[in-house]
Amino acid sequence: MSYFAAALAWLFVALALMVAGLGYPVAHLASPDTLVVVHVVCIGWLSIAMCGALFQFVPVLVAKPLFAEQWALPALGLLTAGLVALLAGFLGLGGRLPAWLWLLPLGAVLLVAGFGLVVVDLGLTAWLRPAGPVRFVLAGLASLCATVAFGAIFALAHAGWGGSIGEKLLASGVPLHAIAGLGGWLTLTAMGVSYRLLSMFMLSPDVDDRKSNMTLVAGALAIAVAVAGGVFAIWLTAGLNVVLPVTGAFGLAAIALYGRDVIEIFGTRQRRQLELNTRMAVLSFASLAGAALLGLALILTGDFVDHLGAFAFLAIFGWLSGLVLAQLYKIVAFLTWLETYGPVMGRVPTPRVQDLVSETRASKWFVIYHVAVWFGTVTLLAGHPSAFRAAAAMMVVGLVGIAREVIRIRRLADVARPLRFPDGACAPHLLCARN
Amino acid sequence: MTDTLVDRIRNALRVVIDPELGHNIVDLGFVYHISVDAGAARIIMTATTPGCPAIRFLKEGVANAAARVPGVRDVDVVMTFDPPWAPARIEPIVRASLGFAAVN
Repeated sequence: MSYFAAALAWLFVALALMVAGLGYPVAHLASPDTLVVVHVVCIGWLSIAMCGALFQFVPVLVAKPLFAEQWALPALGLLTAGLVALLAGFLGLGGRLPAWLWLLPLGAVLLVAGFGLVVVDLGLTAWLRPAGPVRFVLAGLASLCATVAFGAIFALAHAGWGGSIGEKLLASGVPLHAIAGLGGWLTLTAMGVSYRLLSMFMLSPDVDDRKSNMTLVAGALAIAVAVAGGVFAIWLTAGLNVVLPVTGAFGLAAIALYGRDVIEIFGTRQRRQLELNTRMAVLSFASLAGAALLGLALILTGDFVDHLGAFAFLAIFGWLSGLVLAQLYKIVAFLTWLETYGPVMGRVPTPRVQDLVSETRASKWFVIYHVAVWFGTVTLLAGHPSAFRAAAAMMVVGLVGIAREVIRIRRLADVARPLRFPDGACAPHLLCARN
Repeated sequence: MTDTLVDRIRNALRVVIDPELGHNIVDLGFVYHISVDAGAARIIMTATTPGCPAIRFLKEGVANAAARVPGVRDVDVVMTFDPPWAPARIEPIVRASLGFAAVN
């Protein structure tokens, strides 16, 4: 729960910066201000939320406890401290703080340590049963290692400690860092988690391993080509003109195969009524498909570099953030139920998980959020920074509503009085879960 | 006498619900077998999916509910996934209320 609270706090920070006009599209895509916003979103929001979800979910996938449950909190501390140092370093690069560039390597060291704990803990847990969706998690963790390695080298290079190799990688390797992070770590992991969550909540048969394997192979090849091929191309000073289209082709194939698998899960579901987390996940799948089509159209028209920001915005906020928010809503309700009512089961009547939520009220905030993201993408494509800030403000409205619903879940505010606190049940703490 | 006790245990287990599906585990078909021998109850049950975080609580809840039945001195709850649970095991009236596919 601490991971989810920290992640949501960072998302609010990112949106506040966007509303204030800090970073892209007001500033250049590679400017220090944009780096601040991008890393607040990708590390503070998405990576911390993903780590929190995986600490809950990987033990479910392998039916074994975490390798080292006690590592989760130190990892969160290291990640938070590392991100703060990294952001301070970026602000120093942009002249908004004193230019203490040693903060960048310091941030990198702390982030390497934090993500290192996460990778070892989750990796050793997942390795117990490397089958089904957990293979996506393992591929995602490998991509996380590549992402963090690139990031650490860039941090050293920014501080002037990277040598000629660091300078060379910083000059050409940023797209590889982004592909490994967004495509490998966040997207492959989100895909893997969604396979199991969708099947579990809709009572669909699991997708045949041979099918999901094709999706994973296509996605993993995209990342492998980008990382290994990209580094090789930079070493040869050959540029990324061959690597990026091949990566794109494998990436599109992976998204198409994933779409086929998701349609199969929906088609074979035995539970016909869809809960809010699944309905809202459909909106994020639409954003993923939209991002894939947008990327393809921009490549075909030769405008991809000019509109990279719009493409990344739709992928980050429509697909990844949308999916994480939808599942967060469900995971918080489920964990809160386990924490409050699990220990009194069999002694007294208990409510259902669905009694902890009000889907009708919550769904409008999700819809506002997604419409705002799509509006924001259009404003970026049309080149209207002020309209983009209005879209970011609308996203804040949606997010405030979603956060309020999550707080209501933690406070059991929607549980009918007779069942809310049966004898022996303890009220959950807002930010820390006991289980 | 023993059959009556088995029925009383089965009824007592209706206080335990699956948190996701929101119905009691007896009507959902989670309880595979109940037997009693000299006050020692043995219950074999399942859950919707292996690795579900609620399994520990379901098992403890079943043990708690069965232990409260007069005449039961000891309870042994065994969790199995063989055979795996399927929606076809749900009581028809509950299945209809849950909105399950007609084919099931």
